[in-house]
Order: sequence, then structure tokens, then C-alpha cells
Amino acid sequence: MRIGLVCPYQWDVPGGVQYHVRDLARTLRGMGHHVEVLTPAEREEALDPEWMTWAGRTVPVPYNGSMASMQFGPVSAARVRRWLRDGNFDVVHVHEPASPSVSLLVCMIAQGPIVATFHAATTRSKWLAAVGPMARPWLERISGRIAVSDFARRVQVEHLGGDAVIIPNGVHVAAFAEGPPLPGYSRGVDGPTIGFLGRYDEPRKGLPVLLEAMRTVQRRYPGVRLLIAGRGDAEEVRALIGADLQASVALLGELSEEDKGAFLRSVDVYCAPNLLGESFGVILIEALAAGAPIVASDLDAFKRVLDDGAAGVLVRRGDPPALAGALCALLDDPDRRAELSARGAVAAAGYDWDVLARRILAVYETVVVPDGGPVVAEDEHLVSAPTDGKRARSTLRWRGQG
Amino acid sequence: MTPEVWLLLGGVLLVLLLLAAVWTLTRLSRLERRVARAWTALDTQLQRRAGLAEELARNYPAAVGEDRAEYLAAFAADARRPVDGDRELAENLLGRELRDLADDLPGVPVALRTDLVGTATRVGLARRFYNDAVRDTRALRRGRLSRLLRLHASRQLPPYFDIEVRLETARPRPDRVAKSAS
Repeated sequence: MRIGLVCPYQWDVPGGVQYHVRDLARTLRGMGHHVEVLTPAEREEALDPEWMTWAGRTVPVPYNGSMASMQFGPVSAARVRRWLRDGNFDVVHVHEPASPSVSLLVCMIAQGPIVATFHAATTRSKWLAAVGPMARPWLERISGRIAVSDFARRVQVEHLGGDAVIIPNGVHVAAFAEGPPLPGYSRGVDGPTIGFLGRYDEPRKGLPVLLEAMRTVQRRYPGVRLLIAGRGDAEEVRALIGADLQASVALLGELSEEDKGAFLRSVDVYCAPNLLGESFGVILIEALAAGAPIVASDLDAFKRVLDDGAAGVLVRRGDPPALAGALCALLDDPDRRAELSARGAVAAAGYDWDVLARRILAVYETVVVPDGGPVVAEDEHLVSAPTDGKRARSTLRWRGQG
Repeated sequence: MTPEVWLLLGGVLLVLLLLAAVWTLTRLSRLERRVARAWTALDTQLQRRAGLAEELARNYPAAVGEDRAEYLAAFAADARRPVDGDRELAENLLGRELRDLADDLPGVPVALRTDLVGTATRVGLARRFYNDAVRDTRALRRGRLSRLLRLHASRQLPPYFDIEVRLETARPRPDRVAKSAS
């Protein structure tokens, strides 16, 4: 099958949607499909020219507490047209098409089977409320809609007026399940470790809450180490940590994919103290796959991934004493940790990319009708399309069948 | 205001209305094509499911049980050509019959079992996508402009295809029988 994927955000900026598109593309290519990606990027060289096409740069606009990308105009439209023409795709799969991005452009220009995945899970977005109805005439062209979570589906239903099948975000389970730990931090050998991953300087990731809780944990386990991975200003976070915790905290900086796996395989407990705004929680699935017992705040998205507490411990968000209690209880109880670890592997299996890519392929196969022809750019279609009269007659079939 | 201004205003309004009408007509015919495509997809999957059910009943009656096999064959045939014209009811009966089969059908090749499961998933997807397309069409047809200018008003509204895909029990829909028989 010839598949065209469209990513609306800059490829060389880390982000959940970008990773999703990348992993989906790789998995589908591994299954023998022809996959091409159209995406904006800061630097064109960041893309693999063999299967990726540069859609230009984007203009950042604030959206959902982070930065979203905006991209519109005749130059981008021309690139989209060329990509569609050269790609000759059986199906085009756009991501997050409700924002004014290259994804929406593809919806405006492409004619034929279009599948869309909706990622955003915030319902507070004024942006979406304002833009959603305007984008609607073009979103109407989408043949099959996918949402990555119940919450993303709800946004879709409430703001964009359409239903969607739920296919979650995925991880490469094997890449997290197997491999060496970080040197010096073997799980269960080198003294208790707690892991945190996320930007230090984004308060919504909840690092201050975890640091506060660590003061209690440290009194009970003087040898405990908190491993902090992620980007951010090291000086700022050191000030946040304070003198009393300095010895118990290790800053690992930004991790590569392999190191992230090693990090998750090393920690005795992975902690996600996020306060709000997490739309999915891929990191939790990665931690589950790596066999790390999890303590997470009770965000809706986390509850869903952790099966309402069956696959990990949930605590009230923004509550340091409760978090400290949960961390200590888990560090006290190796049997419980082993049990969570085993359950995690089972829970993570459902999120493996091999499984999810097959489900997404089923969506493609459903929207691609026999003899339907490839996806084309609209103006070409107007030239070569059969007349409306012909099509109107072919639609009579379902009327006759009643 | 002078008559010229009124005329100009009226002209501008008329042009705007015309543009909106053309735009809405474009959307409507686009949606019509989408509904047609979605129906083809759904019909293909339903036919495929009926075909697989017939194959199962014909070649592996022992695995599903002799009685069951007869029912299965009859329901599959009815789903292909509903006697009373109610395709939804026929598909529901076939769907329920297939769902009630044991998970491990002894002697049935893995390929056929995989096909059955895969088709069930695709029927579910195709039904949702078809109904999505129908809902989008109906929403636009109900719009103020469409009703004011009677756009596509002579065409029949596409009907929802209402089969249950996951629920355990199927209920006959007498209201639909009456509707589709007319």
C-alpha cells in the first residue's frame, strides 16, 4: 500500500506528534509498505530525503500551553500539490488537521481517501473552539477519523462535530523491555532510585511537588537517589533542589532514545507528578514496557494508561505528602514492585507499535475502496473526474437496497 | 440613500449569496461522493463477512455444529439478499450468529478464523465511517443556507446504517422494517 503521512509540526523539534508519525512510518515501512512523510522542519537537512519531503518552516503560535505551528500560503500549497502528485498515494494520513497547518492544507487540496488522527486532548482551548468550525468544510473530506484517547475523541466530538475510532499512541515495547540498565544504577542492586523525566522548567510537569516529597522519602531512605532526565536550565533546577537534597539528586540532562530505555530499566520507581495538561502519557507506557513500577498523579490520561490504578499507583495531583507516602510504600514492598512490573509488561503489550500499526492499517483498508484510485490534488481531479451525473447514478445503489 | 447605493448593496449581497451557494453546493457534492465511497466500503466488508460465514457453514459444519451451520448459511444468504428488504436486521442476525461462535473452532484453518476476526473489525470501522459521512451530510443539508436555497432538496437524505457491532444482543427494529418496505 502507498501511504502518505503528514506531520504538522517541525520534525526537528521534539514532540509527541512527531514521534508518533516517525514510529508509525518506520513500523509500516518495516511491514513492507511504501510510506512517505510530508513535514515542516527548521532545517531541511534534518529529514531523510529518501522518504521525507520538506514542507517549509512554520510560524509558532501558543496553543495548549505549548507552541503550535502555523503554516499557510501559496508556497506551502504548491509543495503539498507536488507531494501528492509525486506520491500517488492510496491513502493520505494527516495528523492534527484542525490547526492551520500543512495537515489542514492537505485536507483542502487532496481528493480521495484521507484518514486523520486527532491528538489534542484539551477541552479548554479557545483556539480550537474558534478555529474548529472554520476548518469544518475541509475536515468534512476526511473519510476515517482516529483519536489517540477518549479525551482526544471528546474534543473531536465537541468542537469539530465528528466521531472517531480510538487507537492509542504506541511505543516499541521490545526496545524498552530489553537492554542494559544505566551503569551504576542497576535496579534492585545499587540502592533505591526514583526516576523523573520531563522539562525541569515546566511547572506543569510537577517537579517541585516531587522534590518536596523527596524530603520525606530521604528521611526514611537516606541512600535514595532521584534521577532527573530531560531538558532545562540546570542552574535553575539546582536552586529549586536546595542544599538538603543536593546529594540525593542526579541530573542526567537530555537522554537519547537508548539512554531513555536504559534509564527506565534502571529506576526502582518511576514517578510522574504532572499537575495538568498531559494529553496522553506515552512516557508511562514506556516505563511500563521497561518494567518500572510507577507512581503517577491522578490525571485522566494517566488513569487510563494505568488501568485505573491496576498497573501503577495513582496519587492526588499536587499533594507532596500523599506522593511521599506512595513512594515510601512502594520502596518498602519489593513484592508489590515485582507485581506492578509484571502487570506493566502485559499492559504495555497492547500499545506496541506492531499491534497499533495493524489497527491503523485496518482503517486504511476500510477507507480505500476497490478501483477508487489514488489520492490526487483537487484541481487535477476537476479535469479528470467523471461528471457528477455519473457519480450520482452510482450512489443510487444504496437507495435501491434500502 | 440614493437608489444607486441600494442597487449596489443589493448586488453585493446577491454576489455574496451566490458565492456561498456555490461553496455549499461544492461541499454537498463532495459529501455525496464521500457517502458513496463509505457505502461501497461498508458494503464490501458486509459482503465479505457473509461470504466467510457461508464458507464456514459449508466447509466446516462439524466445527460450528450442524444446527448452527444451517442457521449460519441461512442468515448469510439473507444478509446478501434480504427477503423482507431489511438489510440492517439481516446483518444484525448474521453478526450475532458469528459472535456467538466459540472462540476456538476446532478444525477451522487459522487463516479463515483470522479473516473472520479481521472482517468483524472492518465492518465496525466501515459502519462508523459511513455513519460519520451521513451525519456530516445531514448537518450541512439542515444548515440555514441549504434550506433557504433548497440546495440538494430534491435528493433523498442518505440513511444511517444502524447495525450493532459490539453489543451482545440484537433487537429487531420494526420501525425500520416498515420504513424500508415502503
